[in-house]
Amino acid sequence: MKIQNLELIARTVVEGFVNGLHKSPYLGFSVDFAEYRQYMPGDDIRRIDWNVYGRSDRLYLKLYEGETNTRVLILLDVSGSMNYGSGEVKKIDYARIIAACLSYFSYHQRDGVGLLTFDTDVRSHIPASRRSGQLFNILAEIDRIEPAKETAFKKPLRFLAEFLSRRGLIVVISDLYDEPENIMAGLKQLKAKGNDIMVLHIMDNFELTFPFMDAAQFEDMENKRKMHIIPEYLRTQYLAIINDHIARLRKEMSGSRIDYTLMDTTKPVDEALFSYLAAREHSH
Amino acid sequence: MSLLNPYFLFGSLALAVPVLIHLVRREKSEIVLFSSLMFLLKVPKQAIRQQKIKNLLLMALRLLILALLVMSFARPYLTQNTNPAAAATNNRGIVLLLDNSYSMRYGSNFDRLKTEARRRIDAMGSGDRMALVAFNESATMLGQPTADKNALRAALDTLEPSYSGTRYYEAFTLADRVFSQMASAQRQLVIVSDFQRNGWNRSSRESVIGSDVKTEFMNLAVENPTNVGIDSVSVEPAVSFARTYTGRVIARIHNHRKDQPVTVPISVSINGKEATRKTIMVAPNGTTLAEFTGFDLPIGFSKGRVRIEADDPLKLDNDFLFALDRREKLSVLVVDAGRARQSFFLRQAYTSSPDLPYAVNVTPLQNITPEELGKHDVVVLNDVPRLPDRIRDRLDELRKTGQGQLVILGENADTGWWNSYAKLPAKTTQKIFVAKDRGRSSVALTTYDHNHSIFKPFETSTKLALNSAQFFAYVGMEARPGATVLAKFEDGSPVIIESAKEDHGMLVFNSTVDNKWNDLPLKPSFLPLFHEMVSYLSRYNESQGWYALGEGIPVVGGLESAAAAVIDPNGDRQSLGQLSSGQARFFTPTTPGFHEIRVGPDTRVVAVNPPAAESNLEVMPPEDLIASVQRTQGESQQAGFFDEEDRQEYARHQTGWWYFLLFALLAGIAEIYIANRAYNKA
Repeated sequence: MKIQNLELIARTVVEGFVNGLHKSPYLGFSVDFAEYRQYMPGDDIRRIDWNVYGRSDRLYLKLYEGETNTRVLILLDVSGSMNYGSGEVKKIDYARIIAACLSYFSYHQRDGVGLLTFDTDVRSHIPASRRSGQLFNILAEIDRIEPAKETAFKKPLRFLAEFLSRRGLIVVISDLYDEPENIMAGLKQLKAKGNDIMVLHIMDNFELTFPFMDAAQFEDMENKRKMHIIPEYLRTQYLAIINDHIARLRKEMSGSRIDYTLMDTTKPVDEALFSYLAAREHSH
Repeated sequence: MSLLNPYFLFGSLALAVPVLIHLVRREKSEIVLFSSLMFLLKVPKQAIRQQKIKNLLLMALRLLILALLVMSFARPYLTQNTNPAAAATNNRGIVLLLDNSYSMRYGSNFDRLKTEARRRIDAMGSGDRMALVAFNESATMLGQPTADKNALRAALDTLEPSYSGTRYYEAFTLADRVFSQMASAQRQLVIVSDFQRNGWNRSSRESVIGSDVKTEFMNLAVENPTNVGIDSVSVEPAVSFARTYTGRVIARIHNHRKDQPVTVPISVSINGKEATRKTIMVAPNGTTLAEFTGFDLPIGFSKGRVRIEADDPLKLDNDFLFALDRREKLSVLVVDAGRARQSFFLRQAYTSSPDLPYAVNVTPLQNITPEELGKHDVVVLNDVPRLPDRIRDRLDELRKTGQGQLVILGENADTGWWNSYAKLPAKTTQKIFVAKDRGRSSVALTTYDHNHSIFKPFETSTKLALNSAQFFAYVGMEARPGATVLAKFEDGSPVIIESAKEDHGMLVFNSTVDNKWNDLPLKPSFLPLFHEMVSYLSRYNESQGWYALGEGIPVVGGLESAAAAVIDPNGDRQSLGQLSSGQARFFTPTTPGFHEIRVGPDTRVVAVNPPAAESNLEVMPPEDLIASVQRTQGESQQAGFFDEEDRQEYARHQTGWWYFLLFALLAGIAEIYIANRAYNKA
């Protein structure tokens, strides 16, 4: 995937998504005045400039030029398991698009955007910034990543907890193939430092339904381990375990005020943006 | 337990199908890349094992259902247990079937048979009773069933190999009758034989041995036997009218050995003197024909023998006997009215070939003398107007001595005179001219006595037809009392009339034989009809070259009542009683060789050969033979050999298939339950 393509996708998705909204959510958070606009029913009455009303007896809204006060860091899981895809879209591709969209959206929102890719360790780190060329760097990195190793949250999150100096919004895009306690330990540490955390749990439909019929050798894409499996025998137990895993994550994250969204790669990426916006609003 | 339909067990091969599919699919399992085995590894082994067990249980249940269905279709039944009490008392009824057919003369087979029989007698228990049955083409009991071993041994000593063929069916029938007389708890049938295949007629009727009879056999057959034999000899004709035999004696030599050919000298001897000899080669399991002719024969019967000089253990089939009869030709006197060409066709009919057994003399009536008439076997009166009294009286006398007379009435006949001739079997009326009197162009001979020997050629050949000749005129006649009409025209008028038996041989034919009143002489049926009429009137019989042992040989009375007897090859005389004229009696020879048949002063020789089929020593598996004659329990029941109690017992023994079907049903229900549970859970 070329960077231009990635950017194009991100722009198409983001602008299409933004145009569909009834109100413009990204104005109004800054302090620099931009212009007045006549009040329209549905507008927030808190933004009415009462001074103008007093002078002209007309209702005007005060509009400000956007200025970020948020730093967004996207944590993208590039472990081997992310390379799985039962259909046309692999989890990593789905994650790439989401990451690109969020980067694009945030960058044009004048937020500082950063990217950290990880598997068992930190693979690459672009600290959050809003300087020019940042988006290009991020998109180039997103494009470059090649999933290979296993997943382990401990080390990357510890690294982040140590080196993340300013608080902001952390978006974790991962299939979360690690023990919930390992995941939660790191996330809680980040949360404790005042960060808002949003977790997008990317799962393939086959991982959630396990529809395999024929007995076969299943090969782990992370550690290449093989196992002879008769799906018929395992399906029930497997689904119970994975649902339990998701339920635990959801519960623990909810308890720690971390936004958690399970993303099925067959669903459109809009949902990710909604979650992001909700989390962003929350961070204000 | 046994099975009624064991072939259904092949259905159990279906059991291998699911197992094979399982193994094949296991071998071919693919590799599927999956994101992580993390959660799959967490599935407890216990659950997998339970599922595996469940599936194994399902498979086992399905296999069990298949097996039970196969078993129920195979119709299992419980075999009857032999009564141990009866076995303990040794109370057995044993029938020993001993083959003494001619093939048992092969090598030391018959001695081996006797040794085996003695061994069986010696092995009898104290309460056992035994009956010895010797069989060949018929079956004979050698004394009554007894427990006395000495009596059985003595009876066995009298047994000799016969010259007859083999028929198992008769032996088994007799054995069954013997069993019905013996009130023994346990029945045992022992067959000691060379188990020749020829002895079993596959179309033989129903099974005769009860299902409760325990059968054993002792097979005396020799593997790949060495035997060259004469299958048959064709002697055509068996009567010669010339010194040098111009017919053909053709011998069929068969080599019964299957692996190598054989070269044997073969000779023909007449009356003990070798006439001709040659050497022939016979292929393995093949047949070669050897033809002989041109040897000299004395007047009367000659004893012929075809012999092959083969060194094999069965000697009897190396000789084959036949009889040839050299006779003087039949003397036929044709008396006509002296008109030109009147007897032309008749003379031609009897002299067209030198091989024909007729010597013909044609004389006009005016030249004939009473003395001349007596010199001939048959006199043909060919359309003479009337007979002088002395001639007529002489003919009446000669008929009584055996002379045959054929009266042909035609355009010259004085119908009034012939009508007044009381000895003529026909009353003549008038000459009928078909066109004038019947209003049609001609009539045909359409009806005749199909059983009469003069019409034999028309019965045996489809090419000869009497009705092809057209008759334009004939002498009207009707049969006198006692006379027989042998043939009629299509309008119902008689054509040929035969005299009554007491008046001896006279035939009347009522149309000319000179192609004037009919076109019969130009038709193919003319020669055989007039040959047969003259042969019949002369009492001439074609004799047969040889008979097979066991075949009935006809002995026919002559002109006068006379005593008949047969002298067998050993010189023993067997009387056949008094035979009246023309009476036939059959005798069945029991010994191969030349037999002399004497009827009054006449003597004829017949050759009798043992059945050639016995030379073929091909073996029938004894198990097959026993299976063919022993009833199954089902047959016994159908044949009504069981009483009501037996029937119920039998039915009980056969109900096993119901249980198998019931178990299959239960297993099916269990399978549905377990499968439903397993899949619902899934």
